[in-house]
Amino acid sequence: MSEQQSATVPASPQKALAGKYLTFLLGKESYGIGVLRVREIIRMQETTSIPQLPPFVKGVINLRGKVIPVIDLRVKFNLPQVEVTERTCIVVVQVNMGGGKSAWMGLVVDAVEEVAQIGQGEIEDTPDFGMKLSTNYILGMAKIKGVVKTLLDIDQVVAAETIELISQALPA
Amino acid sequence: MQGLLGKLATEIVMAEPGSDNGMLPILDFVSKLRDESAGHPEAANFHLAAKDMADGMMAIVEALRLFTAEDLDYLGKTLAQLNELAAKPDAPYVPIKQGGTPAAPQIKPADGDKTPPADAEGEPALLLNLESDAELLREFINESQEHLDNIEQGVLVLEDNPADADTLNSIFRAFHTFKGGAGFLNLVPIKELAHQLESLLDMARQHKLEITSPIIELILQGGDTLKRFIGEIEPQVSGKKPVEAIVIPTSVLKNKVKAVIEGGPVAAENAVQPVQKGEPAPAAAKEEGAVTKTVVKQSGGAVVKVDTQKLDAVVDMVGELVIAESLVMQDPSIRNLESRQLLRNLAQLRRITNELQRVAMSMRMVPVRATFQKMTRIVRDLAVKLGKEAQLTMSGEDTELDRTIVEEISDPLMHMIRNAVDHGIEMPDARKQAGKSGQGTIHLQAFHEGGNIVIQIKDDGAGLNKERIRARAVEKGLVSSEETLTDQEIYLQIFAPGFSTATVVTDVSGRGVGMDVVRRNIEKLRGKVEIESELGKGSTFSIYLPLTLAIIEGLIVKVGEERYIIPTLTIRESFRPTAGMISTVHERGEMVNVRGRLIPLLRLHEFFGVTPKTTEATDSIVVVVESGRECRCVLVDQLVGKQEVVIKSLGETFKANRALAGAAILGDGRVGLILDSSTLVKLKADKHLTV
Repeated sequence: MSEQQSATVPASPQKALAGKYLTFLLGKESYGIGVLRVREIIRMQETTSIPQLPPFVKGVINLRGKVIPVIDLRVKFNLPQVEVTERTCIVVVQVNMGGGKSAWMGLVVDAVEEVAQIGQGEIEDTPDFGMKLSTNYILGMAKIKGVVKTLLDIDQVVAAETIELISQALPA
Repeated sequence: MQGLLGKLATEIVMAEPGSDNGMLPILDFVSKLRDESAGHPEAANFHLAAKDMADGMMAIVEALRLFTAEDLDYLGKTLAQLNELAAKPDAPYVPIKQGGTPAAPQIKPADGDKTPPADAEGEPALLLNLESDAELLREFINESQEHLDNIEQGVLVLEDNPADADTLNSIFRAFHTFKGGAGFLNLVPIKELAHQLESLLDMARQHKLEITSPIIELILQGGDTLKRFIGEIEPQVSGKKPVEAIVIPTSVLKNKVKAVIEGGPVAAENAVQPVQKGEPAPAAAKEEGAVTKTVVKQSGGAVVKVDTQKLDAVVDMVGELVIAESLVMQDPSIRNLESRQLLRNLAQLRRITNELQRVAMSMRMVPVRATFQKMTRIVRDLAVKLGKEAQLTMSGEDTELDRTIVEEISDPLMHMIRNAVDHGIEMPDARKQAGKSGQGTIHLQAFHEGGNIVIQIKDDGAGLNKERIRARAVEKGLVSSEETLTDQEIYLQIFAPGFSTATVVTDVSGRGVGMDVVRRNIEKLRGKVEIESELGKGSTFSIYLPLTLAIIEGLIVKVGEERYIIPTLTIRESFRPTAGMISTVHERGEMVNVRGRLIPLLRLHEFFGVTPKTTEATDSIVVVVESGRECRCVLVDQLVGKQEVVIKSLGETFKANRALAGAAILGDGRVGLILDSSTLVKLKADKHLTV
């Protein structure tokens, strides 16, 4: 699968965070991911679970003949599990795997909101939460119409840590 | 001829010192004049003059320099002389001395092996201009591969049938295209070498030169040298190597070829004698049979090169189409409709999708012909080297296999062919003593058998010596001396690492490394090898390969709600165990008694951490999987059925999970995981209990 998806994707934005973001909901919280990374949005479907993986990897699905892994963001962010609703969907994103490779992954979210243009002025640096919350996958916080949205660095959310965890979880 | 002289005159008049304009046309015209005048006794002097002029011109071109005033003076004088000789054929020919050019044309055939002057100045180096030419170079390399293959194949045909016009033409064309491409990209050494070889072939094509074995050798050497160039250029173009000047000696070869072209008949005749004197009759007979003999066939039809990723995407989509189709067909609301028209249309839809699927699958398939033909050369070279006589015959070259398999099988096949020549075929004397013809035959064939492709290498050599192999295996500690082994098991020992019964280690084989690699490569392709052999009569190696790597037949099993696929090839049997069959060892590992053989039991639900329907072994099914010589009993809830599935990679994310060989889309569109039997078998027996 990775061969098919080795096309280059834009590198993680470092400073210039302004741009279009797809925003989605997990419970009451709103999050955003760079729209250029989003490949498509599909409705929730049955996943095939892969044994011996960390719990936030829900399994794999068939995306028109391609097998892609699906990450449950609720589990990943330690939020309580909820029932799957009509609005639950899978956001398929292209993730940089390092070494010039990239792969497609699905993210389970409660609901997709909109694509919003977020200006540099609306973005604030990640506040320091102290040691309790790892913020390396948060690009910044955006305030749109009084609502705070957490902008996620998708590569950090899924790629690095996940891969590491997956390989650790497997029998040698 | 007058027309040519006129054109030549124009070119020479237009030529200027300090430029190379017209250099190649002049050479071309002079060569044509020389060739056309050949064989006309009344124009003998004209021919001599033209020949000398062509040589002189060649020397100028060869020197890779621009025209000098002396060159033009020389050309002018020789042209005047040519005109005179054309008008008065009887006029005496006085060679005109060529000023300021190297003495290259004086090399006589006999000097061919000595270091020619060009060597002293160093070989012309080849430097690529990647910035502007990268794309063109890539194309050039791609095409070259084909031309090189054509040359090699053609030469081998020529060996049997030196006068085959089609083949001569095809080799000529290959060199010609090579020259054109190299000239365009300014790859001077390649262009020049190809040019010389082209001229050589051109002479042969016009029956001015007889193809003899030294000449064939020369053409092969030329092809090999060009191949070396390509081999050097390729990594530079693809960025695997830094760009640097490529120096591959060509001048010795070039001069040899030139010597043959110039010395023409003399050199050829000398060389012909040993070949033709020995057996004039068979040579003639061969020519007779030439028409029926297989000649390199150009595969008909236009060809488009397509990115394999696109092909894979098509296969993916077609797979989805089939699934979507069956979902529609089985939809209850459609099944309840009683419309004949609808049923007919649906049936038509199914036919189309089936055909589409078949075509999509066949797109990755290529015939094994090219790979087979490569072997001819190997047998030929090796037989000469070892002083043996061997020929390779083949059949079923049109059998199609997945492209990846065809590529991967090339190396193992080469090894086995080498082994067949080296160990299989005996020396001619020994063969005659055994009452066989002095020439050994290796037959290579490909055919379908069941769902597999079989590639068979059959030699009529010495056969495998069971006792010797066994003794050697015992000596190496591979088997114990008491063990009873079937013939097949004994033969397969030759694939063990480090195994070799060859008494002498040669550079060809005998190190016992090869066969081990052969087996691993074949197993990687999910294939297997079988050997049949009769001492003194020969051996047959059969390689069984799947048609494609993209599809496997799998047994779908269910554990709890999860479905897994086990490749059918690795399943020995499956059954519902009785309580008495299962025993525990040290209260940790469970064993199943399968007809007296104790095989460790692996509970899939425990290993994968899924909730099964039942943990009671007697309510479940045991599937015995094997890999190599090891077996394992895998406990699953139930068997769902057998199905051919398209293998999908799980991608980078899950590559570390070696228990899974991949995933497949099942009939309902969901993903099923394919288990890797070789990993299951190697798991520590009590792993799932102690971890």
